[in-house]
Amino acid sequence: MARIKLEHISMRFGDFYAVRDINLDINNGEYVTILGPSGCGKTTLIKIISGIWTPTEGKVFVDGMDVTNVPLEDRDVGYVFQNICLFPHLTLKDNVAYSPRVKDQGEEAMGSLSTEYLSLVNMLSRAGMFPKEISGGEQQKVAIARALASGSKMLMLDEPLSALDARVRVELRYELRRLVKKLGITVVHITHDQEEAMSVSDRIVLMRYGSIAEVGTPLELYRHPKSVFAANFVGETNLLECTVSERTKSGKTRVKLRGGQEVRASKTAFNVGDPVVISVRPEHVYTANDGLRAEVRSVVFMGTYWRVRTIADSRDFVDFNVPADEEVPKEGDVVYLVFNKKAVVVFARPQGGIEEEIKLE
Amino acid sequence: MSLLKRIDELSGSSKVRKAWFSFACAIFLVVIVIPSIFVVTNLVTDWDLVSMVAQDEAIRSTIIGAVANSFSIALIVTVIDILVGLPMAWIMVRKDFSGKKWLDTLLDMPLAFPTAVLGISVVMFWVAPEGVNIPGLGLNLSPYMLLVLLHILFTYPYMVRSLSAILEQIDPNYETAAMTLGASRWTAVRTITIPLFRAGLATGFILCFARSLSETGGTYIALSMMDVKSSFFTGPSFISWLKDTEPGGGALMYSSDEMMGAQILISVVMIVLALILLIVVRRLIARFHFPMDKVWPELGRKVSRGALPKAKDFVTIAFLIVVVLLPAFYIFMYLAEPASDIDYGGLLGSIGISFLVAGVAVVVDILIGIPMAMYIARHKGQKLGQLLDSVVNVPLIIPTTALGVSLALFWGSLGLDSTFALLLVILGHISFTYPLVVRNLVGAIEEVDPAYEEVAMTLGAKPFQAFRKVLFPIVKSAVIAGGILAFTRSLGETGATLAISPTMNTVPVYITNLVNQHAYSEAAMCSIVLILICFVIIFGLRMITNRRSRRNA
Ligand SMILES: Nc1ncnc2c1ncn2[C@@H]1O[C@H](COP(=O)(O)OP(=O)(O)O)[C@@H](O)[C@H]1O
Ligand SMILES: [Mg+2]
Repeated sequence: MARIKLEHISMRFGDFYAVRDINLDINNGEYVTILGPSGCGKTTLIKIISGIWTPTEGKVFVDGMDVTNVPLEDRDVGYVFQNICLFPHLTLKDNVAYSPRVKDQGEEAMGSLSTEYLSLVNMLSRAGMFPKEISGGEQQKVAIARALASGSKMLMLDEPLSALDARVRVELRYELRRLVKKLGITVVHITHDQEEAMSVSDRIVLMRYGSIAEVGTPLELYRHPKSVFAANFVGETNLLECTVSERTKSGKTRVKLRGGQEVRASKTAFNVGDPVVISVRPEHVYTANDGLRAEVRSVVFMGTYWRVRTIADSRDFVDFNVPADEEVPKEGDVVYLVFNKKAVVVFARPQGGIEEEIKLE
Repeated sequence: MSLLKRIDELSGSSKVRKAWFSFACAIFLVVIVIPSIFVVTNLVTDWDLVSMVAQDEAIRSTIIGAVANSFSIALIVTVIDILVGLPMAWIMVRKDFSGKKWLDTLLDMPLAFPTAVLGISVVMFWVAPEGVNIPGLGLNLSPYMLLVLLHILFTYPYMVRSLSAILEQIDPNYETAAMTLGASRWTAVRTITIPLFRAGLATGFILCFARSLSETGGTYIALSMMDVKSSFFTGPSFISWLKDTEPGGGALMYSSDEMMGAQILISVVMIVLALILLIVVRRLIARFHFPMDKVWPELGRKVSRGALPKAKDFVTIAFLIVVVLLPAFYIFMYLAEPASDIDYGGLLGSIGISFLVAGVAVVVDILIGIPMAMYIARHKGQKLGQLLDSVVNVPLIIPTTALGVSLALFWGSLGLDSTFALLLVILGHISFTYPLVVRNLVGAIEEVDPAYEEVAMTLGAKPFQAFRKVLFPIVKSAVIAGGILAFTRSLGETGATLAISPTMNTVPVYITNLVNQHAYSEAAMCSIVLILICFVIIFGLRMITNRRSRRNA
């Protein structure tokens, strides 16, 4: 009922492309998050999908129909703004009833729809209050109810949770997902918080510099990122520069770190001598009696585990985790590190260097 | 430097700070508030004069007619300002186009013209009065219509400014949000943005209404150019007419007792009505329920698209050009005429007086306005703060002519007679310019986080030092903006000056006298000289402040 298709979408401001040549298909009822550093064009993209802006190039299709030039008020796309934007002079009930009102659906529809959607977000008991009388999380729920009461089958959420307390944020994101899944609504949810993206989406669209860097399910992006940028941005990781030192016929690869230490990696298609980068997440790094020699630089308790930062003989920082109730090394200790070889992902070494590749701006 | 240091030290004591604030309050009360409304007490002390006038059928009906004209013209003008000001504010705030800067500057220009000059210019443009050889449109307008057109000129910029200031605060996303919910642009504006305007509407309404109500110079000049100054009155023009010793002036018709009684009566009536109106308008606008129960989706769609929005913008700009800018600048047509000989000595003398009055008034405004503004801005939540906040506005809404009458009576009763004319005129100009400075400052100080000063003080700065080094540099541009506003307002004021001292030859009075003698081309040349001087000063000040702030950035 609401399949979205973007074809070669670009948005140019003067000479500057806020988004450039975006192609994307979103299925009916799918929950997609757009993840990326700030300024990468996320808001621009959903403003184009919802019709607030008309793209300078490209087309937007909804259920196969070209809606690129349909005016905003006829688009029928729910949109929740980053700064919430409840109408301050209207009660919560009147806010939610705004869409049926301006569509002249009659008092009865206004009453029943506002009741229905306010109770859906558990805010019915506050119906007579004004936006400034409720908390930020509650305002966000009402904003979502207001967008849904328009009967729209698509919902655009622009960083809906970013202004909320950590705990409310986590609660609300699961509630949100449950709600829209129940209603069968197609959602595009913007966030710059990778944890949020991982935990709610069916699919993540990773953006960078106005273009799509990578698309995949949360697990795909986490386990098999296709770029150093994705590996670094989605979840935490250690990046180490090295060169391929050996590769078997079946593809099993060994790489040599700076300083000469060799490490086994997963299967690749690189040739011996290729300059590469390996990515290994902290939870796949262990201490052993032998391996990459490293000196502990800091030990921080993260609430449920210890995060140990070391500087390895290869001159790379390597982080790893230690469960909360286990013994941790002290600052200055020397440890030997080994990596889970299946979790060591190998990338071609970026032209401009690693720093350049993982830069956010 | 050592003086500053000593003040720094002194400011560390809370007693000294309290004393300074009390001093500013006392000055405000004694120099501004009490003299402004002192005339009300004359109702009692001079009751015999007032009752004599009130019982005179002819004078009474003239006064009633004049007050009715004043209020109805002010109302009509303000409503027109709102209707055309709203779309203009939209253009200024929400649209981006080349030439916006120019439009922005043009919009403010009429504010820098003395209203007396605008009076000449508007009459020249719309009607072709006798004795003016520049061709105008030559319409056969009633004095009432002409005054409406004139008053729009100097109120419209205030309205557009107040509305734009509020519109800038209103997140455009509200409108977009309404449209994603299915509202057409027109419906979104009508049901969301306009109701959020309340505060701006109230300020704009009061500013424009008060400005129109109290305007004297331009009104009186326009009426005398149309040769109806002794048959058609507004409240302020009646007071001016009473003092007018030229042929046709009221001074020749009434005894001095009648004059005094009539002045007191009309001043009190205008002051009381204006104060009541201020309160009523505040209440009404706060309560007003914007109708939004009924929507017309189809109609909304039709008026939101296609030719209509373009036509609306076109009409708005056309109104600005035809009704505001052309009439205001029409006086420059005199530049095409062979130059008439001006009495440069007389003109420069009056310019000197005007600048002296305006300069001293602005300096005093700033000195006693800063502590007041700081107090109001930092104590918005408290009773005294709120009270001061509204009392500061009083001189702004009292018709300046009535204010002048009141002031002259107050200081006269204290023994300051006409030999102190210059001092009295300066005190009068302080009264009605003070609110402009304080208003601007309160707005700016409210924007500044008190934490800045607190941080400075935790670093060991004394309060006055913190103010000098931290707060003042931040609000300096507001001080300058308020100062310019007050300066031009003082420079253009006729009514209050005349009411306080008919012999004090400030520029607008000088020009008014020339007009009364039908020396139009000379009056016009003087006006042009004055306008040019104003612009040089304003632009000079802007340049200096811009360069400073750029260097500091
Ligand atoms: N109206 C505009 N005019 C010019 N540039 C804009 C405009 N809106 C956004 N941009 C630019 O487009 C880029 C992408 O903006 P945006 O989509 O808001 O990023 P994000 O939501 O990912 O933080 C930014 O560099 C921003 O400065
Ligand atoms: Mg954004």
